[in-house]
Amino acid sequence: MEEKKAKVLVVDDELDVVEMLKMMLENASYDVVSAFDGEEGIKKAKEEKPDVIVLDLMMPGMNGFEACKQMKNDPELKKIPVLVLTAISQRFSDTKYARDLGLGLLSDDYIDKPVDPNVLLNRIATLLGER
Amino acid sequence: MLLRSKLAIYFLIVVLVSAVISTIVGIQLINSHIINRAQNQVRHDLASAWMVYNEKLNDVKDIVRVTSERRMLLKDALIKGERNIVRRELEKVRKIYNLDILTLTDKEGFVIVRTRNPYNVGDDQSNDDLVSRALKGEVAATTQIVPVEQLKIEGDGLAEKAYSVFKATPKAKPTVKKYETSGMMLKAAVPVVDDNGNILGALRGGVLLNRNYQIVDRIKDIVYRGETYKGKDIGTATIFQWDVRISTNVIGENGNRAIETRVSEEVYDAVLENGRSWIDRAFVVNDWYITAYEPIIDYNDKVIGILYVGILEQPYIDMKMDVIWSMIKYLIIAVAIAMVIAFFMGRAITKPVSNLVHATEQISRGNFPSKVEITSKDEIGILSESFNSMSMRLKQTLDEKDIANEKLKDLNTRYLELLGFVTHELMQPLGVLKGYLIMMEDVNPDTALKPEQRKQAVSTMLRNVNMLINMSQTYLQLSKIESGVLEIHKKKVNVYKKIILPVMEDKKAKLIVRDISFKVENEEEFDKIEVYADPIMLRIVYNNLVTNAIKYGEKGKPISFGVKDEGDFYRFNVRNEGVGIPHDKLEAIFEKFVRIEGKSEHKEWGTGLGLFNAREIIKNHNGRIWAESVEGEWANFLFTLPKGK
Repeated sequence: MEEKKAKVLVVDDELDVVEMLKMMLENASYDVVSAFDGEEGIKKAKEEKPDVIVLDLMMPGMNGFEACKQMKNDPELKKIPVLVLTAISQRFSDTKYARDLGLGLLSDDYIDKPVDPNVLLNRIATLLGER
Repeated sequence: MLLRSKLAIYFLIVVLVSAVISTIVGIQLINSHIINRAQNQVRHDLASAWMVYNEKLNDVKDIVRVTSERRMLLKDALIKGERNIVRRELEKVRKIYNLDILTLTDKEGFVIVRTRNPYNVGDDQSNDDLVSRALKGEVAATTQIVPVEQLKIEGDGLAEKAYSVFKATPKAKPTVKKYETSGMMLKAAVPVVDDNGNILGALRGGVLLNRNYQIVDRIKDIVYRGETYKGKDIGTATIFQWDVRISTNVIGENGNRAIETRVSEEVYDAVLENGRSWIDRAFVVNDWYITAYEPIIDYNDKVIGILYVGILEQPYIDMKMDVIWSMIKYLIIAVAIAMVIAFFMGRAITKPVSNLVHATEQISRGNFPSKVEITSKDEIGILSESFNSMSMRLKQTLDEKDIANEKLKDLNTRYLELLGFVTHELMQPLGVLKGYLIMMEDVNPDTALKPEQRKQAVSTMLRNVNMLINMSQTYLQLSKIESGVLEIHKKKVNVYKKIILPVMEDKKAKLIVRDISFKVENEEEFDKIEVYADPIMLRIVYNNLVTNAIKYGEKGKPISFGVKDEGDFYRFNVRNEGVGIPHDKLEAIFEKFVRIEGKSEHKEWGTGLGLFNAREIIKNHNGRIWAESVEGEWANFLFTLPKGK
């Protein structure tokens, strides 16, 4: 029997990255929707109501920090787990906010880039299981 | 303590020590000079005193001799026995000439006439030295001790006049004798002769010195002219009979002449015992005197008394003190002047030193003062000069160090910046590569990639690998440019043939994929243009510009190359149609890590360094590079190169 697929929203400005993640998640039986910056990410999240959001922090336009903050302040979105993709350097960032976010303290979880597909899939499964 | 104070103190010590030594030496000199002078004076005075003394003795002798020439008169007494007339005449002579005795003896030595004691005659005086000599025809004169018996015989009052009871005198030689009865006389005796020269008798005269102040007062008058100092006689004279003052003008405590006192033991031993003269300062009765004592001897060279003169020491002491005080006064003035000199000298010496100290303090606080003023050619001047050059070099070194530090910091910042950028930039394509590779590794038929997915994955991976290669190259260029390793080897280059054509050849595959052609404006003209440039560098510039043109150029639209003669320069350009560059980014794109945000579907990853590198290279060729664009339509990159070398 076919159970309903979980939906993942991938937000990253790099098309190559989005496509790669999309292919990976689809082959792992997730529905994938994508967005290319923070603003679009919030819009898509509201439209598609994903089960989990994968959010890159470094993006042009509205970046991941701002997007994550808005999502967590939005009553409609704040229950959706957010997995942020960080570069190691962001953990040592100057502002406490960025550091906390980089360490996954404000989001639900974080993964260092470059992303290991198996780790990503495990984390997403974990976040979905916790829900 | 300040160097200046030290110097002043050292100088002062030197001055004070000199002053003290001068004072001591000066006082010694003054002392010995004045004492010498006083002793010479008193020696001289003593000689004068002897003259007075001997004059008196000669007086006695002359009176007696002259009187002896009155032969007729004396013959009357000696031969005729007419004693009364003779006695009256001789008594007259005695009184006129102030003699104490005048006695006539016969040729046997028996007294014929005794003036002072006329009824006591007939005694034998032949044992008297003088009389016996006179009877032998000699004229004899001397000082003589006359015993009390003889004094009594010679006349009334003489024994009483000679009698002295010793007064207690400090420092005098102890003696058991309490008084003296004999007297001391100046005596002379001459023979009385007849016309044929036969000796008829002897005439003897004498003056008793005891309590007779004629001689000493005359000495005082002649030698010292009666001068006084603070109420005291400057000069004094004394005749001693043995050690007892019998005639003096030294005044005792009671205001009387200090007779019957005795001489000090010291003088006693020197003069009376050893017959020497004695010249020194001495305490005489009440005051200190510079004194001279010489023995008085009788006819047999036997010491019988002392002649003394003394000058009051006080005037010499006062004179000495005056001289010493004025010397000290001048010394004090000299010391004061020396102190003032020391003060200014110290300041002159230490001024440059304190300048140096001040400057050193400034430097230790990190301030570099202007040069220390050099005021002299001495060691301090040399020191100041060395200090100046040292501080200059120090400042130079520190400045250089600051600059070097600044450079180092700058380099480090750039290095970190680059490292961060590179890491970030490399992660993206590497992440994509890793993701696809892991997926491709998957052999699970449910989840493994389908053939069309695999195709897409390979194509994306290839693109990302190319990007990594491209990035590596530009980073290499950058690091060479930034580290200054990049050396420009200029030579004559045909830009069209040697640069543009090879670059386009390299890009052939990309051009075909993107369906982009290229055209060269005025190809023939372009082919003739040669510049002095480093071909390898210039190729990097064109490569970067062409890469951008392909990346941002619209599919199917050509890239065009142009050149224009601008006098001293050639102006080259690379133009493409496509997204163009926002107006406010036209300059920023040449900065490091700045990229044009492409809207193309498959945006090529730029390094953000291509244009920066191009700009650096053109700058090193003394040219200029810039961009012109209409956003959404076209972009044109232009640069100039000088025609000459």
